[in-house]
Amino acid sequence: MISPALLPVANELRRLLGDENVLAAHSDLVVYECDGFVIEKNCPDVVVFPRNTADVAQVVRLCNEHDVPFLPRGAGTSLAGGCLPVGGGVMIVFTRMKQILEINLRDRYAIVQPGVVNVWLTNALKGTGYHYAPDPSSQGACTIGGNVATNSGGPHTLKYGVTVNHTLGIEAVLADGSIVQFGGPVEDAPGLDLTGALVGSEGTLAIVTKIWVRLTKNPEGVRTLLGVFDSVEDATNSISEIIGAGIIPAALEMMDQGILAAVEAAFHFGFPLDAQAILLIEVDGLEAGLDSQRDEIIELCMKTGAREVRQARDAAERLLLWKSRKQAFGAVGRLSPSYCTQDGVVPRTKLPHILKRITEISAKYSIRIVNVFHAGDGNIHPILLFDERDAEQVSRVLKASDEILEECIASGGSVTGEHGIGVEKISLMNKLFTPDDLAAMTRLRMAFNPTGRLSPAKMLPTAGACGLEQVHPGRRAAM
Amino acid sequence: MGATMTANSTAAKSTAAKSTAAVGQPLPLAETHTPADQAALSAVLADVHTRGVAAYPIGGGTSLDYGLTPATPGVGVILTSLDRVIDYPARDMTVTVEAGITLDALSKTLVAERQWLPVEGPQPHVATLGGLMASAWSGPRRYGYGTMRDYVIGMTAVDIRGVPFKAGGRVVKNVAGYDLCKLLTGSLGTLGVISQITLKTRPVPERTALLSCELPSWELAERLLAAVIDSRTTPVAVELLTGPLWREHPSLGMLTAGSMGRLVVALEGTAPEVDWMLGQLAAEWRELGVPTAHVIVGDAATKLWETLNEFAGFPDAPLVLKGSVPPSRVTEFIATLQTVDPQASIQAHAGNGIVIARFEQFSPGDISAAMLSRLRPAAQRSGGSVIVLSSNVEGWTRQAWWGGLGPAAPWMQKVKHEFDPGNLLNPGRFAYDSTGD
Repeated sequence: MISPALLPVANELRRLLGDENVLAAHSDLVVYECDGFVIEKNCPDVVVFPRNTADVAQVVRLCNEHDVPFLPRGAGTSLAGGCLPVGGGVMIVFTRMKQILEINLRDRYAIVQPGVVNVWLTNALKGTGYHYAPDPSSQGACTIGGNVATNSGGPHTLKYGVTVNHTLGIEAVLADGSIVQFGGPVEDAPGLDLTGALVGSEGTLAIVTKIWVRLTKNPEGVRTLLGVFDSVEDATNSISEIIGAGIIPAALEMMDQGILAAVEAAFHFGFPLDAQAILLIEVDGLEAGLDSQRDEIIELCMKTGAREVRQARDAAERLLLWKSRKQAFGAVGRLSPSYCTQDGVVPRTKLPHILKRITEISAKYSIRIVNVFHAGDGNIHPILLFDERDAEQVSRVLKASDEILEECIASGGSVTGEHGIGVEKISLMNKLFTPDDLAAMTRLRMAFNPTGRLSPAKMLPTAGACGLEQVHPGRRAAM
Repeated sequence: MGATMTANSTAAKSTAAKSTAAVGQPLPLAETHTPADQAALSAVLADVHTRGVAAYPIGGGTSLDYGLTPATPGVGVILTSLDRVIDYPARDMTVTVEAGITLDALSKTLVAERQWLPVEGPQPHVATLGGLMASAWSGPRRYGYGTMRDYVIGMTAVDIRGVPFKAGGRVVKNVAGYDLCKLLTGSLGTLGVISQITLKTRPVPERTALLSCELPSWELAERLLAAVIDSRTTPVAVELLTGPLWREHPSLGMLTAGSMGRLVVALEGTAPEVDWMLGQLAAEWRELGVPTAHVIVGDAATKLWETLNEFAGFPDAPLVLKGSVPPSRVTEFIATLQTVDPQASIQAHAGNGIVIARFEQFSPGDISAAMLSRLRPAAQRSGGSVIVLSSNVEGWTRQAWWGGLGPAAPWMQKVKHEFDPGNLLNPGRFAYDSTGD
């Protein structure tokens, strides 16, 4: 039920945006109670679908007048609860701001609205010789606005960088309702790089309404290899060998035996099911250099104990290989009723160590864990398999997750490489950062979002009214 | 300023000096300190903060002309003793160093593992990495490799109260917390004093070669630039050069009469890749009507690269400007610059739309007006900007030097105010409007 205090707000929103762009009935709102992080849920009081930047500014100003919290949402694919409406309030959903406003190949940029789905831009660029480089596994559903909020990565970020490296400028509605452009199609705008600071701020500093993105020239050629290993350790050693040899592959992904079976059942690629690990290695660039790079990679893999290294025969086989990888999470449904995809980072030379620890943690908590991840970046994605109807299992999953992430910190890494902090990992921020570090981050928050009405209780443990101590015990199991 | 350095525990680890000497020349320094480590840096800043005086962070001192000349007397905080390599796990392709390390010293460390930081700045034997980050300086290779913001994955800075804070980490992919590394890159020391930096490194390419051609007309120049961007090759630098300095550069040979300037493209990769690209690009140029392309390699390439890298930082130039325009407007903007000084020497990182002009003949009394009435409107028409990089002309206003920041200005001031409410860090130099700075 909408809280009575919000009724006048809902009515005013209908007047401003039209009935068709406002949802306030509980049955309509349930869809928006969580994102890809399903462990905590809460319905917003109102959902609005702005048609343009001016709509967004009006909504924000209204929320301020009525002291109501508000937050943006793209497609809701985020995995750390960044779209969880803590305290309810107004959710601003960008699915109707989905225009590609301009494509400029000569100056290598495009202007998009935040609701543009990541892959639409690359599809729109087909035949031009250019593409948009960040390619998260959810790229068929996630929006570029959401990518900007979480500074999304993807398999090809090893060579090409993450979202911030491809964001030239943003137009945003700020927490007070003002509309400001930072950066733009021209590089080196004078003053502070607020574009850089806002990317990855998980919707806690500003609501992005327009994005100038860098377009990347397509590589002339590509070689996609599949390395098959009888031990996880050999596979991770190969990664270090390849990068140590000065080769930066476009992508370097790993799948372990646990996930391989599910992926094979779903996509019938022909993966060897007895392998302990496979590496998906892609090099791209000039044809003139590719065969020698491929040969060197094959040699390095064989030297570090690969059973075999296959090359994708043609474009179709390459596509199937990538489909298998990018939709691997979907295939996990075959393994268990529920799963939790974790996200952590270690220096890539620490991969053997962290994978060994994950195996131990899996045994300790009797939670099955499979792995599919961006090995070249040291960005692990252990997938914890469980049944969410069993509260006791859920509690073990949470403990196992925390232990894995704490091990990442102890290994010199981070608790998130691309999913973000959201609400899920707030309690880990104190372990990664000192109070002084967090105070500096809070200063940035205070400059942009002093009232905390925009995306409250996210990212920083000090933010908002909901104290972090409530987060863990408060994980409501709508399960 | 009258205030004297109070005795404190930093004395042992920090070298204090009353003389301003040559270091920090354009800055109004009453005293300087050279802290030996981060703890000493913290102590110096805490003391400065207590006394309520200004602090001017100084690296190698190569960019002190960048930004307005401040009027507030203060303390020079020299970072050059913070020059240690903290951690270099080469196999992880990251390196953590103190901010005062020179670019040359960093290169020397990295090259031992066949790695490098492909971001360049003038005078690498004295310029520091912290200075490069604070000024967000970049060189020709930004087309192929990006700029400093793409390489800093972690940092520690000390705030004006002397409290260290860090952001990012030591791994190449990390989205935990706000990316204060981006915020401090290019903030010109106005938010905190950078003390430690973690970088992503890259493998050193096996080979570098330059391909150059003359430009018979500006019309052909734009067609050539568009073709280079769209080329089958993958250049790492696209430099358009014009004006007296480039007419007789020893590595380029004399320009033919009637030539407007030159295009120099840098190609890097394995030997077979570079060989293929040299042939391919020359063939692409021939199709556009360029009869001769010169390959520049070896010593000649090294000499030319040095000039390309040092051009923007020439300490003896009376006025150096930097324009930023869409790459497609580079030739048009150069033409505008030449209406103000036909003798200007110009280097454009043309693939990025960055145009650096070293003015030779201009009337000091009129240059500020020319900036405001002709150059800046020309850049702004295409969404760009133009700023002064260095000048020995007196009397610049903030508006003339940096231009306005538009609707973003109040938000930059809010950030500045949160980090340095007393406006003690590098006051008066940066682009903030006068109300906030």
